[in-house]
Amino acid sequence: MRGIRLFFLELRRLLKSRITWLVIFLTVLSPAAGLFLYKPASSTMLSIYLANPSIAGGLTGGVLFGLLTVYELDRAGRSCTEVLLNAAVSPLRMAMVHLAALIGTAALTLAAVMTVWLPVSRAMIGSVFDAGDYVLAYLIFMGLALPLGILAAAAAFQFTCRSDLSLVLFAVFAGLSLTVWAENWQFCWLNPSVWALSDDFSNLRIYRSAAYMRFTWLAGLGGVWTLSWICIRQYGKGLWGSFVRNARRIYRPVTALLLAGCSVMAFVGQPMVDRSNPDETVFSLDEIPYLEEVVCSGRSARVFPDTSAGTVAGQAAYQFQNTSGKKQKVDFAVTPGYRISSVQVNGKDAIYELGDYQEYNEAVLEVEIPEEKAAEVTVEYGGFPRENRNMSSMQGSREISREYLCLENAALAPRLLNVQPDEGMYPAVIEITLPDSMTVIPFGTAEAEIVKKQDNGTSTWRYQDHGTGGIVYAGDYIRQDIEAGGIDIELYYGRSHQKIMETAGAAEAVKTVVDYCTEHYGTLAFGSGGSLKLIQSRVSGGGYAAAGASLLDETDFTAANLTDSRKGAGYGEVMIHELVHQWWGLGCMFDNSDGTDPWSAEGLTVYTTFRIAEKLYGEEYAEKNYLEQWRQAAEEYYLNFYVRNPEYLAALPEDRQLEISNSLEYVRQYCEMPLKIRKAEELVGGEEAMDQILCSLFSRELDPAYPYLTYQDFLDACGLKEEDLNLDQNI
Amino acid sequence: MIRIFKYECRRLLWNKFFFGFFLVTLFYGWQILTNVTILGVSRTAPFSPWSFGDYLCRMIPLLWIGALFFLTFFHSARARRAAVLTNTAPAHPGKYAFARCAAAAAGTGLLMLAALAEAAVFYGGYFGWHNWKTLAQPAFISLAPPLIFALGSGWCLGKIKGWLLYIWMLVPFVCMALPLPEKLGIWNGSFFSEYPKTLGTLDPEFSLPAATAVFQGVILALGILLIVRGVAGKEQKRDR
Repeated sequence: MRGIRLFFLELRRLLKSRITWLVIFLTVLSPAAGLFLYKPASSTMLSIYLANPSIAGGLTGGVLFGLLTVYELDRAGRSCTEVLLNAAVSPLRMAMVHLAALIGTAALTLAAVMTVWLPVSRAMIGSVFDAGDYVLAYLIFMGLALPLGILAAAAAFQFTCRSDLSLVLFAVFAGLSLTVWAENWQFCWLNPSVWALSDDFSNLRIYRSAAYMRFTWLAGLGGVWTLSWICIRQYGKGLWGSFVRNARRIYRPVTALLLAGCSVMAFVGQPMVDRSNPDETVFSLDEIPYLEEVVCSGRSARVFPDTSAGTVAGQAAYQFQNTSGKKQKVDFAVTPGYRISSVQVNGKDAIYELGDYQEYNEAVLEVEIPEEKAAEVTVEYGGFPRENRNMSSMQGSREISREYLCLENAALAPRLLNVQPDEGMYPAVIEITLPDSMTVIPFGTAEAEIVKKQDNGTSTWRYQDHGTGGIVYAGDYIRQDIEAGGIDIELYYGRSHQKIMETAGAAEAVKTVVDYCTEHYGTLAFGSGGSLKLIQSRVSGGGYAAAGASLLDETDFTAANLTDSRKGAGYGEVMIHELVHQWWGLGCMFDNSDGTDPWSAEGLTVYTTFRIAEKLYGEEYAEKNYLEQWRQAAEEYYLNFYVRNPEYLAALPEDRQLEISNSLEYVRQYCEMPLKIRKAEELVGGEEAMDQILCSLFSRELDPAYPYLTYQDFLDACGLKEEDLNLDQNI
Repeated sequence: MIRIFKYECRRLLWNKFFFGFFLVTLFYGWQILTNVTILGVSRTAPFSPWSFGDYLCRMIPLLWIGALFFLTFFHSARARRAAVLTNTAPAHPGKYAFARCAAAAAGTGLLMLAALAEAAVFYGGYFGWHNWKTLAQPAFISLAPPLIFALGSGWCLGKIKGWLLYIWMLVPFVCMALPLPEKLGIWNGSFFSEYPKTLGTLDPEFSLPAATAVFQGVILALGILLIVRGVAGKEQKRDR
């Protein structure tokens, strides 16, 4: 009871201090810094007007409250009243009261910030404002930074008993988060790794990730603070003497150890990202040799996403024909985070092993099938799907909520790795049960339909597909039908995005791109009568395409882009890129077995995107936003110290080598190769001549044994040699 | 005077603040070396004078704060109370102040040496590179002027009001936020990453534009002048 009375006394005293009010005032103002100075997130309205202000508020507030903490804890020493205070109240109790009062003040400040910024945010964000996003962003991105700042500064002060040293320690701790730790989502305690928030769909995954990081640090700093609390000087003893004296009550060191232990366990055992091989040039899962005399005749999956918990549960069945007459080991790719609860073969429990090695967000499940000719393998799986650690600073892709869901390949059902298909080419029947409000869209040519409606507000959708994997999108989507290039295009986008899509003329942009590619390169393989789905995904920073479907990133058409006059007409380019992949990459295939080869579908796709942008938005725009960028990136690549001196790269630790070489490969495929194609265009006589060459390559007769378009094919068609396309180092 | 210097050195350097700061400097420096410097700046090697200069520029805010913290030992309210006693000692006030300033400089120098030695260990361990002589010039140009200036200006400010030293600690951060002209790039960390690109050659030898050299020289001279003026000048009348 005395502690509570002291807490209110201390809180009242704090709130009477002018310094406290200055800190509160500056913290309330601090989200404004996110609008002008500190802008880690971009692209969408919620990123610009909600994520940035709340992160900047958390950063500034955390630092200000840290400084206030040191100032307040040093008050007794400064005014030489420490002895008197210690005689009246135990310094340990007083430290707890100080901490509680400071955190209470921080909570009041956060309430003030959220009240003041609510109308401002609502006005700036406009039609895509969402109260849930607002509350979560301010609570997690900003609110939790304040107690972290207080705990860190208080711990530093209690260890050192010096304001100067504790200020230095706190400054370095904050500085590290803002600089060298900024790219590590678990380390950046002050500025969570938030690269974008979706306007049209939910953002629960990124909130979970930021909250997880913050609670890990809260536990860790709570443990450090408790340890420092035990070290509070008493009875004229030094640090060690006080520690020994205060630690006699065993619950104190036990609490410190428990909190620190929880933090370490949470850090090590985080459920958000996997342990994928950082070397992204390795594709060992796709290189597992196929089993001889075993074929897959079909598969089915029943998937039950839990949109509240963000988890998935499912049961997948695979039919095999084993003509080898002996036992065989079938490999499946499983998304890390999923647990395998049971594997049965022909109704009996089977031997299986889930490997530790992970690559491109997949782990290998090995199942033994018997010598019998027909074998049905049933796998029950489920859990919280993790994201690829190589993309850990751009989390959010595994969003599973009532508003949005995307399950890709192994996240939908275990992906078969080493068994070839029979003549049916892996026929698959997928059933997925989701809330009634969601529309299911298979990413490909398949069409889903509702087969059952449950009383609990869910519906079961079913679709038939082919292949070992498969991607499915679901959400509150609107469909718009467009006809272009002799094909029917189904454009799917979020309901809340309708007005923006209409204002931006998205349908016209899609039509222009498809007409351009059809006219210049030829009709897509599925030709007239076929259909192409164009599906809007939540903000993802890129996209992909499959036969019959392409992705349209949410950031292609945002209200911010429409109102930003500096961007001119230049939006929708990710959409253009992914649509072009229907020609280069799907219509015309490339051998992807060597991830380090600069010749890939990306070269021609980026080049074609440039040509379309040139046509749509003018030469000046294309020169500035494409050619100049490519030249700059390619020049940086050629002149990079490690490119020129690979022996030094080889001397570095492996993780550093991979980090550097991964970033360099990107430049070769996305910048160097388009520049070479552009150079080839000049050598063959201009754009028209190049279009004819590309058209002939697109419609060439394929060799069924090796249907890929090679660099040599391209050079031969141009009548050029490899060295003709070498770029000067000084581009 | 040497006895006073030794005594002040002991007071300044043999305490938990110095050891704490020393460890913090090493930790921060290692984080920069292994995360930023390792990539090299301006297409140059991580052990080029340019990358090394960039590393030192990133360390300057911490060293600047360290230098000013050493001065707070002599200009805090507690030190001022003790000044009533020390002023009666049979020592020339100027010499006494000089010994103190030299002790602060020694502390700053030790922190600086720690940062330099850490870089040496990093270069030797990661790249087997030991050609330290090439790094002497960027080390001197980047560290000496700002740190001497920090000591000189800090001494003068501390004499006026002790708390001004804490405000003065923010100077490197203000410089980083300001769009300073190219010639002053050392003060916001852009010089070592931008200037080599303008030289038009790969892996250029270390050189300084005249304006930058003059500016750094002026800062160095100003720092020395402020130290001389600060230690020789009369103590200001202060409030308690």
